[in-house]
Amino acid sequence: MGRTWSSMNEFEAFLNEGGMVEVDDDMPDEYRATVFRFIELHANSELMGGLTERDWIPMTPGLRHKMTVLAKTQDEIGHGHLLYMVAADLGIKTRREMIEDLFAGRSRFHNVFHYPVRTWGDQVAICLLVDGAAVPSQKAVYKDCSYGPYKRILKRIIAEEGFHLRLGEERVLRISQGTDAQRAMFQQSINDWWWPALRLFGPDSKPDDKLARWRLKSEKNEVMRAGWVQKFVPMLHSYGFTIPDPGLTHDPETDTWTCGPIDWEPLKRTMAMDGPDTARRIAEASTAWETTQWVRNALDAAPAGVIA
Amino acid sequence: MNTTTVDNTLLRRALAAVTTVDDPEIPGVSIVDLGLLETITATEDGRLTIGLIPTFSGCPALATIGADVKAALEVLPEVEKVTVEWLKSPIWTIERVTAKARRTMATDLTLAIKVDSGPTLCPRCGSPTVEKSEFGPSRCRAIHRCGSCFEVIEVMRDR
Repeated sequence: MGRTWSSMNEFEAFLNEGGMVEVDDDMPDEYRATVFRFIELHANSELMGGLTERDWIPMTPGLRHKMTVLAKTQDEIGHGHLLYMVAADLGIKTRREMIEDLFAGRSRFHNVFHYPVRTWGDQVAICLLVDGAAVPSQKAVYKDCSYGPYKRILKRIIAEEGFHLRLGEERVLRISQGTDAQRAMFQQSINDWWWPALRLFGPDSKPDDKLARWRLKSEKNEVMRAGWVQKFVPMLHSYGFTIPDPGLTHDPETDTWTCGPIDWEPLKRTMAMDGPDTARRIAEASTAWETTQWVRNALDAAPAGVIA
Repeated sequence: MNTTTVDNTLLRRALAAVTTVDDPEIPGVSIVDLGLLETITATEDGRLTIGLIPTFSGCPALATIGADVKAALEVLPEVEKVTVEWLKSPIWTIERVTAKARRTMATDLTLAIKVDSGPTLCPRCGSPTVEKSEFGPSRCRAIHRCGSCFEVIEVMRDR
């Protein structure tokens, strides 16, 4: 069965040599708790993201876009499902406890899901800027991830999020060819979503980051953030949109874009469950959870073997 | 359309080009190995028609796959025009997935294939799996758990 380590030093030496931890290993409690929190946050964020996508199914313009929103909804809920199973396997909380904690406002989800999605322009901005931040973040976790079950699921999730990003690029291309009103709507969405998406990477990584030490993250937040700025500033400029950052600078020698000072207060507020749309989102999700209680009751009451 | 007189090197080159197109959500697995390609026809003046079939009719990746196929073919110098058609028949089944694709999916993506002849086997350890959810992140995939190594896996299926 699983492996054991006599001390944290021995365990860290195992990680340093590239060792992979599996579900039945007797991993140190602190590592177990850290991996659990990390995957729970990811699962919660997939679920909250999926609920936003679901809200947009009836409002999405055109059949082709609607199909992509349907698919994104299924992707996000499916990812949440897989991640909750992997998180629950760590034996800290059951899947139901995680979902109940989320819908009671007791556990966190990523900052970008604490904001209202008001227009189709917002959906385009999210599909580009938020998925454009999620993909490198997830790749940085996947690249050298020490927890096997998470790494294997991340590989598939990254492939699917990469597809979302491609849809985002298509949507931007289309909306940028739209009417003046459509372009103005999208410019407003860039103004509203630029900073929340940028803050998704978090503040600069600390040198003693245990996520890096335990190989749960292989790239520094500031490096990923800089790459994101460098990718999206020229792209949005090329479509004739502006970036809502008065401190944005361009080095013509190296053709490098650098963002101005970052206000971290909004991130702190979302982490304290006090974002602009946090209360409404939690309330809506918890109402949905309560009104579907009968389904869970029926599943619980079914004889063993009837439902897998 | 007359396909019999066309120099079949064009058809061979077209097939090779379509084979370079991967499923947008399954990197490393060609749409040809997934069994999506049904027909390639060509005229003497270089007009190609590619007949594809979807795994599920509501698949949102169809437009992306179609665009990728066109892009892969339009770079061939002898190709004048490419038309991609999504065919209503035959219906895609899991038998269309080649052994090569099954191997890549199992080893690179821990993705299994559901077969009628017996239980679905875990791509990691080969033990039978149990279905936990009929639907995973897409309509062509269910979520299973391995009864032996406990891996959470996705299983591609055709219905």
